Amino acid sequence: MTHLFRIRYNNTQGTLMRILMAASRRGLPMPYVQAMPFDGAHEARLLLDVSDKQVAQLYRDWHGTVDVLAVSSMQAAEEGWDAAIEAGAHMPPASTRVDAQSRSAIA
Amino acid sequence: MLRGADIVLRCLRAEGVDMVFGYPGGAIMPLYDALEGSGIRHILSRHEQGAVFAAEGYARSTGKTGVAIATSGPGATNLVTGIADAKMDSVPLVCITGQVRSILIGSDAFQETDVFGMTLPLTKWSRLATSIEEIPDIIAQAFYWAQAGRPGPVLLDFPVDLLKAKMEFKGPSAFSVPATSNGHAKPDFWPKLQTLLQGAKKPFVLVGAGAKLSGACEALTELLDTLQIPACATVHGLGAVPSQKPYYTGMVGMHGTKASNMALHETDLLLVFGARLDDRVTGEPSRFAPDAKIVHFEIDPAQLDRVRPCQLPIVGNLKQTVPQFHNEVRSVKLPDWSEWRAVACGPDRAEIDSTGLSQPATRFLDALFEQLPDNSFVITDVGQHQMWAAQRYRKNSPRGFITSGGLGAMGFGLPAAIGVQLANPDACVVCISGDGGFQMNLQELATVHRLKLPVKMVIIDNKYLGMVRQWQQLFYERNYAETDMSDNPDFVAISKAYGIHAALLGVDAVAGTVAPPSTAKSLFRFLQSPEPELLVFECPKEANVYPMVPAGAALSEMVFEEE
Repeated sequence: MTHLFRIRYNNTQGTLMRILMAASRRGLPMPYVQAMPFDGAHEARLLLDVSDKQVAQLYRDWHGTVDVLAVSSMQAAEEGWDAAIEAGAHMPPASTRVDAQSRSAIA
Repeated sequence: MLRGADIVLRCLRAEGVDMVFGYPGGAIMPLYDALEGSGIRHILSRHEQGAVFAAEGYARSTGKTGVAIATSGPGATNLVTGIADAKMDSVPLVCITGQVRSILIGSDAFQETDVFGMTLPLTKWSRLATSIEEIPDIIAQAFYWAQAGRPGPVLLDFPVDLLKAKMEFKGPSAFSVPATSNGHAKPDFWPKLQTLLQGAKKPFVLVGAGAKLSGACEALTELLDTLQIPACATVHGLGAVPSQKPYYTGMVGMHGTKASNMALHETDLLLVFGARLDDRVTGEPSRFAPDAKIVHFEIDPAQLDRVRPCQLPIVGNLKQTVPQFHNEVRSVKLPDWSEWRAVACGPDRAEIDSTGLSQPATRFLDALFEQLPDNSFVITDVGQHQMWAAQRYRKNSPRGFITSGGLGAMGFGLPAAIGVQLANPDACVVCISGDGGFQMNLQELATVHRLKLPVKMVIIDNKYLGMVRQWQQLFYERNYAETDMSDNPDFVAISKAYGIHAALLGVDAVAGTVAPPSTAKSLFRFLQSPEPELLVFECPKEANVYPMVPAGAALSEMVFEEE
């Protein structure tokens, strides 16, 4: 299922590359990638075709990356990609139990 | 006005660094020029990989951050395996590399490589320095991230012009981020955990490296004494739980004990403390602990649910979460698990089957380990000897057994032992290698000799790339492709050429189930020698490590001998 991921991050050296590597190391095609200044930080938007398990793995990888601030995603049907990219939900998948406390990995 | 190189070294001193491991070269030369008078002792290796493995040994044995230094290009790329090893095994490491001049970056200059780029997947954090002014900040950040949460490697890449540039140095920086957690588990974990405990009939505990990294071994042992639940350890958890405890079943996993593997397969409630459940431990993931609910105590949320969802993740530092758990459970009446304990820890599932005990290599290691003093470290390389050593290690020293577990990097042993010995000058440091792995970094014998390090090196020489040969025997119809090492050099002669005393020990020295007194005496003298020593033990060529869980099999499907 195609998901649109929005990853907010501090645009420090290598952070965007680390965000993309979480997908590339899994051999996931990245048909759409955008990175831009957003709301005082930066935001990367990735469209990825992933399973539920991969969604949870990606969330955990990104939350464990230094300078990643927040991650959200929504499922996106192909015909609705543009709208999905514009809108972008902020609800993590139910299978993920990552919260503020779990970010003790990086602090 | 100080040079950038001087500022780097002053900031390293401010971080408590008094020893670094490295190899000089063009781009890093200014840093080497500044070493004298810096208060930092530099240990010269004979290969950058030797330097980074030595820095790892230093870090693994102390918990402090190891520092490795290399020049640009091939020097930097030679660090990559060590960086990957540190990532896999959560070792705090700061690697400092020289880089070509800033204006040449990206031009494929002489000895230029994008080490920042190539280590991005392997480092927790990294920086290519772009100004001399940022040096204090990035060093402070590097040391912070190397230790924060789950420890790991970081890399700092310094263009040579920055190391030569000068500025007024105002002093080292400090860095921290506001903690999003104090390491404690959420308070609501206990009701859920209590319910799971009360409902369990076959609970089992798995202890991993996290117990050691967090410094929670003592607290964990006290908790286990209260729980009286059978417990096992991963290879990195060895020594975290005293091996004499009646509820301890030994190492678990591909070459784990029958007791541990069967209990893990049969458990209905698995409590995991600081282990990431990698495939060497789980066997076939889809058939791992099929009936178990999993409670996972873990500092790194990225390790949760990797194999399958856990019923209760308890994210935090074991230093805090274990006492939290113990405080709650000590006042609660737990079910009577004595029957299950008798089965899981009973004699029917004796720790090592008789085939394993009959191996000359295991008898030799038993005899060697019998003589180990309390203040000792055992470092292994990678292969059959590693598994035999892990199976026979009995010391209760949390940092006493050091091995490349997650990456399985051959060549790790000798340089890591150098780092361990330098960090622990009064300890007995024993390095167990195979004939294959020893040859990958044997140039570090020069380091041992120059520094007169009393490292005790053992080569289990079976004249094969043993572990690969074993797999070829069991799964590839004995097609021993490219694993023959029958033309090994004379290791004793090589060692003597490096000015290190060496001796050969044949299989006869461990004839019978217990080594004769003469062998015990020789091993005692070997370990007690104030000099570096090499001992080559000639092992039967086709000895195998058992038990073994074949790839794709469940833990319960161990193989105990050749069919």
